Amino acid sequence: MQQLPDVIRQIPLNNYVWFSAALFCIGIIGVLTRRNAIIIFMSIELMLNAVNLLLAAFSSYKADPAGQVFVFFIMAVAAAEVAVGLAIIVMIYRNIQSIDVGILNKLKW
Amino acid sequence: MNAIIALSLSGIASLFLGFSTNRKNLLITTLLFVLVALGLNLADWNHEYFWFNNMLKTDNLSINFSSVILLSTALVVAISRSFGDDEEHTHPAEYYAIMLFAAAGALMMVTYENMIMLFVGLEILSVSMYILTGSDKRNLRSNEAALKYFLMGAFATGILLFGVALVYGATGSFNIHGIGEVVSRTKKGMELFEGGVILYAGIILIFIGLLFKVSAAPFHFWTPDVYEGAPTIFTTFMSTVVKTAGVAAMYRLLSISFPAVYGLWGNPLVWITCLTLIVGNITAVYQQSFKRMLAYSSISHAGYLLITILAKTPNTNGSILFYSLAYSIATISAFAVLMIVSENKPKDGKPDESFEALNGLSVNNPFLAFVLTVSMLSLAGIPLTAGFFGKFFIFTDAFSNVSPLFKNILVVAILMSAVGVYYYFKPIIAVYMKKGEIAEIQLPLIYKITLIITTALTIILGIAPDLVKNMF
Amino acid sequence: MMPILSILIFLPLIFALVIAVLPQHYTTYFKWITLGVTGVELVLCSYLYFSFDKTALSYQFQEQLDWITLPLGALGVGSIDYLLGIDGISLPMVLLAGIVMFVGAISSFEIKDKQRGYFGLYLLLTGSVIGCFVALDMFLFYLFFEFMLLPMYFLIGIWGGPRKEYASIKFFIYTLVGSLFILLVMIGLYLSVIDPVETAVQMGLIMDKSQVTPELITQIQQLLAEGKILPEQLVHTFDLRFMADAANFVGDSWLHKAAEVAMGDFSIRAIAFLLLIAGFAIKLPAIPVHTWLPDAHVEAPTPVSVVLAGILLKIGGYGFLRIAYPIFPEQATHYASLIACIGAVSIVYGAYNALAMKDLKKMIAYSSVSHMGFVMLGVASITSQGVNGAVYQMFSHGILSAMLFLLVGVLYSRTHDRQIDSYQGLASKMPVYTGFVALTFFASLGLPAFSGFIGEFFTLAGAFNTPLLPKWITVLGAFGIVLGAGYFLWTLQRMFFGNFWSKYELSLLPDLNVREKIMLFPLAILAIAFGIFPQLLLDVTNETVSQFLTLFV
Repeated sequence: MQQLPDVIRQIPLNNYVWFSAALFCIGIIGVLTRRNAIIIFMSIELMLNAVNLLLAAFSSYKADPAGQVFVFFIMAVAAAEVAVGLAIIVMIYRNIQSIDVGILNKLKW
Repeated sequence: MNAIIALSLSGIASLFLGFSTNRKNLLITTLLFVLVALGLNLADWNHEYFWFNNMLKTDNLSINFSSVILLSTALVVAISRSFGDDEEHTHPAEYYAIMLFAAAGALMMVTYENMIMLFVGLEILSVSMYILTGSDKRNLRSNEAALKYFLMGAFATGILLFGVALVYGATGSFNIHGIGEVVSRTKKGMELFEGGVILYAGIILIFIGLLFKVSAAPFHFWTPDVYEGAPTIFTTFMSTVVKTAGVAAMYRLLSISFPAVYGLWGNPLVWITCLTLIVGNITAVYQQSFKRMLAYSSISHAGYLLITILAKTPNTNGSILFYSLAYSIATISAFAVLMIVSENKPKDGKPDESFEALNGLSVNNPFLAFVLTVSMLSLAGIPLTAGFFGKFFIFTDAFSNVSPLFKNILVVAILMSAVGVYYYFKPIIAVYMKKGEIAEIQLPLIYKITLIITTALTIILGIAPDLVKNMF
Repeated sequence: MMPILSILIFLPLIFALVIAVLPQHYTTYFKWITLGVTGVELVLCSYLYFSFDKTALSYQFQEQLDWITLPLGALGVGSIDYLLGIDGISLPMVLLAGIVMFVGAISSFEIKDKQRGYFGLYLLLTGSVIGCFVALDMFLFYLFFEFMLLPMYFLIGIWGGPRKEYASIKFFIYTLVGSLFILLVMIGLYLSVIDPVETAVQMGLIMDKSQVTPELITQIQQLLAEGKILPEQLVHTFDLRFMADAANFVGDSWLHKAAEVAMGDFSIRAIAFLLLIAGFAIKLPAIPVHTWLPDAHVEAPTPVSVVLAGILLKIGGYGFLRIAYPIFPEQATHYASLIACIGAVSIVYGAYNALAMKDLKKMIAYSSVSHMGFVMLGVASITSQGVNGAVYQMFSHGILSAMLFLLVGVLYSRTHDRQIDSYQGLASKMPVYTGFVALTFFASLGLPAFSGFIGEFFTLAGAFNTPLLPKWITVLGAFGIVLGAGYFLWTLQRMFFGNFWSKYELSLLPDLNVREKIMLFPLAILAIAFGIFPQLLLDVTNETVSQFLTLFV
């Protein structure tokens, strides 16, 4: 059976980089254009996943485990962030029965 | 380092203290925890230690930054008397615990040696702040601020992480010294995956992510909303501890990992600094709310701090530290007065945070008026206050750097200092020259002591700055 | 020896603190404390005047303490000293400060509300004004220079007239912009200039400062010129005495004479000089940055106006002579016509504006602009007559403008109306008042035998005799005297001569009371005395000025 890093290395590194860059950009566009808090939130998660993918790819190409360790850190921290973020969104939903960020305009310059 | 461990443990301890019915002790205990951490932090003075397999490194610079952070935390905790007074804050122990955790995260941000620790510290700090920002649960403004802060913060983290991943790809290391070595060997035009484009893209993304966190223009737009919406006590925490930690983290990264590519981040940073100064100061002029004005002022002070990061002289360490300290104590004074005055005179059931709320403060509360005046003068940079020397050191640094770029910055910084005077004097005008009636406000003892400490420190540092500056 | 200059600075500051902490029921004593303190100050200033050695070339009554030392890493060490001393240029200013602050304190008796704040701030102002004139360390000078804005700001802003907020913040921002310019140049100078004495100590050539000899200083300067001193050993300084010596500039620094750094068409030294001139011209004030002055004067209460016109404006002129000119002599020669031109335009423009004013106080404010223009003109000439005349003009204008504002204050305190056309023929009903007004007006418009004449005559003579300035500038300035005569005499005629008529009851317009006479009489004596015996002041300034002029050859 092939080692997992070898499997990963069957695809050129270039492709990983472009793919995660594309994912990342989709995430950014999502954050900037969508108005639903949950969708924005999902887009951010997409950005983080792009990072994870990139780190894993680099890690196996460099045969350096540090990158994969970092991925675990990102996952764990992102989970904590999700917990807090969803709590905030729920709190807002309770108050205004909506999670459309367009409605939130109490604070304006 | 021991202070981080102590803060984390005491955070857990203070969660348990929440079971006790006597809330008065909570404040004192938390203050004690912070001071113990401060003591542990100072115990490492003059030693360079690596901690946890080269994850963290303490040296005098990081100890100084940690001290500024812990001192600010202690002062903020000391003025947090209103927890538990109302229905919203029925669990004060949690807020104190989260503040302790946040401080631990901030310390990690100033002592990190590995990108993992930067990320973890940043997230500990940020997640704690999301919670604290939204802690006024029924207040829609607080909700909105929390959501905005959360979305923007997570977005910035994502950008930062992508940058870290790219830099890792180019250099094969998360260690900031390791990255620094590779970067200094890298030359332009190298093959794509051996450095070159990937590295530069990574650096730029990290840079943007951190600029979000220190709220430099054009990445500042979340700042005023979040600062205004958050409960004032947490705004104070945000504008002092979070800002200092952010600037320190940025400085550490740029000065250790990326000095070799100064041209790459230096040139954009010049324009970002100018823009930050202009946006922060000019927009602050138009604010009607004192709290929002302070938010913009914090943006402009981020601009001044960026000048020293840019200047890259041997004095930069001392200048950044002095400026952060001067800015933090003055800001804490200002927010403390704002908090106590605005709560005293609610408008439509909410604290009135406009400048009008301060009208006539000097009549019955000369002490508060004086404290506010000193803090505003310090922020404006008038002599015999700490803020003046902060600015003086920064301008000196900018001058010692002979790069022609600094001409632009100096001109902008000078003009914007003059603009700053205009809006920093608005509260002073309201306090002394506008007619109004504010009944005498009874200050709790600890509040009074804190204000005396911050004011005295501001004036002492304004007369003898070498007391502190030469330590750094 | 008694540290008399420190006493001059700190006595008012200490009593300002005393007033701040005294219990409420002592309020009635505050004005007496202020009067007493300023009285002591006046006595000390007169003592300085009489014991001043008129022939000595160096600074006198020097005091020096190390204050702040800052390691600058690769740039060496920075030191800020608490360094005081006076010479023939600062002595008249210190004396003037003593006189005007004392008179202002008497005039302050009319302040009735918030006395604690008022008198505390007044003493704070006194201390910082005097500190500004006696400081020989540029940093110290700057500190006092900018710190003095604060008490002034509050004095106008709290006790002022209806538009006090606007006037006070305008005053503050204008002068603050000026002082930020000065700050910039100051930092540049600081990084360029070294203290040869301290550097010698740092290099280990001598053990402490007492062993210094002139040869050693020359040796250090020689080494510096050859670039043989390690950067770490350089001790940077704000000491104005060292800044005035071109040999103390580090070779590759920004502001060294040979420095090639330039911005556009200007050399960096030219920019630094012009920034300093701009900073001090705002304070002076000169056209076109004078607009804060009329506003501030109109809103300020009488004693504050007196202090503002009497002393604060002089700091601008003093800054020219103490800082801008000695440090940048070659620029001063180069830009002489520019500065003289601004001065002459200020004279004429100020006078024209004064002619048009309906508000008596505003008219006098513009006359201040006009008179301070002579100072600029005289300084720009860089001749013995011109510079002596400029100092003389500052002193004389300090006394005369104090009188003018006190006289306006007299009228204002009676009717709260300063419009010129609200009164007519006051001479018949207020003869003593009219007498003082006439005397002051004549003195101000430059009639011989009054102090104003000496100042204006010398500045114009200096401007005529210098090869640096085209003659038309001086002619323009001289034309200002004619206009000055015009507005003063016209006002005198409109308000005081002819049949009595006023919008107000005659009972509202009693003649001067005893306090007002006490304020005005000594000033009138001084105005005449310094007009008849100009050597009273010229003797003091002459030596210093001739030494000052040696910098320009």
